[in-house]
Amino acid sequence: MKKNISLILGIILVFIILGIWVLSFVRMPYNPNEMNISNRFLGPGLDRDHVLGTDNFGRDILSRIMYGSRNVLLVALVSVTLGSLVGIFLGALAAILKGPVEKIIMRIMDGLMAFPGILLAMMLVAVLERGIKDSIAAISIFMVPVFSRLVYSMILDTENLLYIKAAKSYGSSKKQIFFKHYIPAMLPRLITQFSSSMGSAVMIETSLSFLGLGIQPPYASWGLMLSESRQFFLNYPYLAVAPGIAIIITILGFNLIGDGLNDILINRGSNHE
Amino acid sequence: MLSYVLDRLKSSLVVLFVVSIITFFVLMIIPGNPAQLILGTDATPEAIAELSSAMGLDKPLYQRYLSWLLDLLKLDMGKSYVYGESVTSLIARSIPVTFSIAIFAMTMAVIIAFLFGMLSAIKKNSIIDYFSRSIMQLGTAIPSFWIGMVLIVYFGVKLKILPVSGFVPIERGFAHFIKSIFLPSLVLAIGEVGTLLRIVRSSMLDSLKQDYMDMARVKGLGWGKIYIKYALRGALTAPLTIIGMQLAKLAGGTTVVETIFALPGLGRLVLTAVEHRDIVLLQGLVMFITSTVVFVTLIVDILVMLFNPRIKSFHQGE
Repeated sequence: MKKNISLILGIILVFIILGIWVLSFVRMPYNPNEMNISNRFLGPGLDRDHVLGTDNFGRDILSRIMYGSRNVLLVALVSVTLGSLVGIFLGALAAILKGPVEKIIMRIMDGLMAFPGILLAMMLVAVLERGIKDSIAAISIFMVPVFSRLVYSMILDTENLLYIKAAKSYGSSKKQIFFKHYIPAMLPRLITQFSSSMGSAVMIETSLSFLGLGIQPPYASWGLMLSESRQFFLNYPYLAVAPGIAIIITILGFNLIGDGLNDILINRGSNHE
Repeated sequence: MLSYVLDRLKSSLVVLFVVSIITFFVLMIIPGNPAQLILGTDATPEAIAELSSAMGLDKPLYQRYLSWLLDLLKLDMGKSYVYGESVTSLIARSIPVTFSIAIFAMTMAVIIAFLFGMLSAIKKNSIIDYFSRSIMQLGTAIPSFWIGMVLIVYFGVKLKILPVSGFVPIERGFAHFIKSIFLPSLVLAIGEVGTLLRIVRSSMLDSLKQDYMDMARVKGLGWGKIYIKYALRGALTAPLTIIGMQLAKLAGGTTVVETIFALPGLGRLVLTAVEHRDIVLLQGLVMFITSTVVFVTLIVDILVMLFNPRIKSFHQGE
């Protein structure tokens, strides 16, 4: 197999983040929410007690990064899973049933796609509360049209292939055809989309919490850490370094895995490289 | 060709109708009475009931939707309770800010994406290709709020050459205007350039593989003719569509960037409306923004069709 740099690099980056996430359940150097005013704004250094320094309340930044990884990964994983399941279901329903069901579902998806960027998520947050559950709900709904359109167009592309026609003429039910034939055929693209969507979910979650619409203080989240550092980082730039790098590593990791899988599973190295 | 335009126009209107339904009914399920929200917690029940009926809150939901939709068509989007002003004039005032940044940002993104996208496709697997592919990946992974903070520190505070917040209208001098929108536009451009570069590169790679490219080379044409007149022309459709989508997205206001640079644009209004649950304002904003998106997409689709004779003849053949 040809070497796939994107995939390897992506896996390494995601493993770093997963490692931090696992470690946060084993042991964190300090309590992430413990304030200690006499220790505020301690600079970072490998030989120091606080490797990444402390923030304006004297809280240990490394511990907060570790704790924050739980929220980011939880929100991203749950919302992409929920959103993709609902999206796959609706997209398949529209493509297989056709008729008015198809029209109604796909028009709703078109409508949802007309909301640019995080507008849809923000609108939903206005209706809901602010917290983990609500971020998950908002990002899940954001993901639904992405997956339903993908599944819809893939089924329309494959429904006229011979093996699907054969299965139909053998009298297979729509459900059987969906699970036995469509799902395996769609799996490569769905996996690729899932990984890239994890990247965008992380971006939306951190943007929402940066705007103060996501996870609320005193809990640690990367976006919130950056927004809290805004008033101090002119004097203490290190405050913004660690959360920024954590976010970039996570998004980059999932995107690279998505790209790498795309090359292997779909394009098979044909036109991308 | 006319039938294609009419067809696209019809589906755009359907999308907007669906959006209006989603927006209205999603925002109706907000917990609590809007009248209570406006009057505050110490209002008397009578006052709340009075305001509720004045706002039409006692009518059935579908009647409220219809009257909202009719007002919307007359560009009357109601009054924001946070600002105490009509939503239409609030939006009108924010448009210059948001549109200036959006257009400037897309100009930067297009220049960078085409330059590096074309070079990287022509010199595949060279240093410039690896560099372009790094921009591609990093551009989509770096959060705009983070790069915004970094740029503020370096350009605004350390070098002190650019203002870090606020908006200067173009009437107060072109140089000041450009300076005030440069950093926010740069941040937005960084966010969009990755996606665009990827599309330019892959379209260009496809285009370079076509038979007519061999023809052009065999004929011994100069590189300018080969790459710009032939290859680039064949590779424009997909990038144009993406540029349209990106421009539409940015024209809807980008809350994050407008927040960091304290710009009074559409995105700031959205954030205020969400924070204060100003439903009337949020409804108006969402409808305006989605209409902009749908309208820009429509224009771009028509332009792409004019550029691409294959689509045109396909629709003529119908």
